[in-house]
Amino acid sequence: MMEIRQLIIVGVVLSLLIGVTAVFFASGDPDGLESTALFVQGEKTLTGESPEDGDAEAIGAGTFEYEAPMPDYTLGEDAGKPGEVLAVVAGIVIALIGVFAVAKAATAGKA
Amino acid sequence: MHIPDAFIPIGQAIVYWVVALIFIALALRWARTDLNEDKIPLVAVLAAGIFALQAFNLPIAMGTSGHLVGGALCAIVLGSPYAAVFILTLVLIIQGFIFGDGGITVMGANIINMGVISGFVGFYSYQGLKGAIGSPYAAAGIAAWLACVIAALAASVELFIAGTFPLVPGLIAMGTYHAAIGIIEGAITGIALYLIMTVRPDILEMPTEAVSS
Repeated sequence: MMEIRQLIIVGVVLSLLIGVTAVFFASGDPDGLESTALFVQGEKTLTGESPEDGDAEAIGAGTFEYEAPMPDYTLGEDAGKPGEVLAVVAGIVIALIGVFAVAKAATAGKA
Repeated sequence: MHIPDAFIPIGQAIVYWVVALIFIALALRWARTDLNEDKIPLVAVLAAGIFALQAFNLPIAMGTSGHLVGGALCAIVLGSPYAAVFILTLVLIIQGFIFGDGGITVMGANIINMGVISGFVGFYSYQGLKGAIGSPYAAAGIAAWLACVIAALAASVELFIAGTFPLVPGLIAMGTYHAAIGIIEGAITGIALYLIMTVRPDILEMPTEAVSS
């Protein structure tokens, strides 16, 4: 039976492989929610292709704006694919350490 | 399925945050009572894996792509819908604040859809289907498909209340796309459960009280 330590190493390596593969092979098509937004705006038929320059968020009326440090899993357009790899690896590491830390904190002092 | 800030007015977004915070408090209570030294690393690895898989948009035809949500997977592997709330909340916080994927004001709604609804539907459908179907992997796959579709339909109702999507076209489109995306959700959930069962079957059957005492 695989030790917990081995399981973690396999899990982390697998996550990094999936994340880095995603940078090069993920689909550029809008997701289900964005496709629905394009559909209800009349920019896309239900089963047809999505427009190249469609703006899914045009339908929104919100006023809140937030600038994320690594928008859309990139380090900006200039950084290109290496920047995207760094961004997704950073996200995986932050998820791993962040969730570990919160779980530790949540169980701290448990009898 | 990540709702952006522009899609829900702030007043409604606050209501979703209040509901989400109740479930987050319950998820923290679950973590305190159910997590132990063996499970904490597994929870962290699951979160890393879900983050990676959520970054991987797979084409599903109809000009659309989709990725795993992972709520059902977390709930089934860790034996509680609150595990999904715990992990998905943290993943959504990282995605929203660092990568701009999913809004900040609407994060409560995203936590409700992808953590609470996907976790509860996934967990209880799996419990019900496991005995009826006989295969835990097939049961997990179907439960995960249901979790994806029902969470998407809930999102479309929220966006109707927000005045962003019309009700029927929104339900039809969200339902259609996520019925297809749910196949990815179901397949990955079934395969992941099989892999974990193969290498560490004890994790899934671990009687928490016995281990933690």
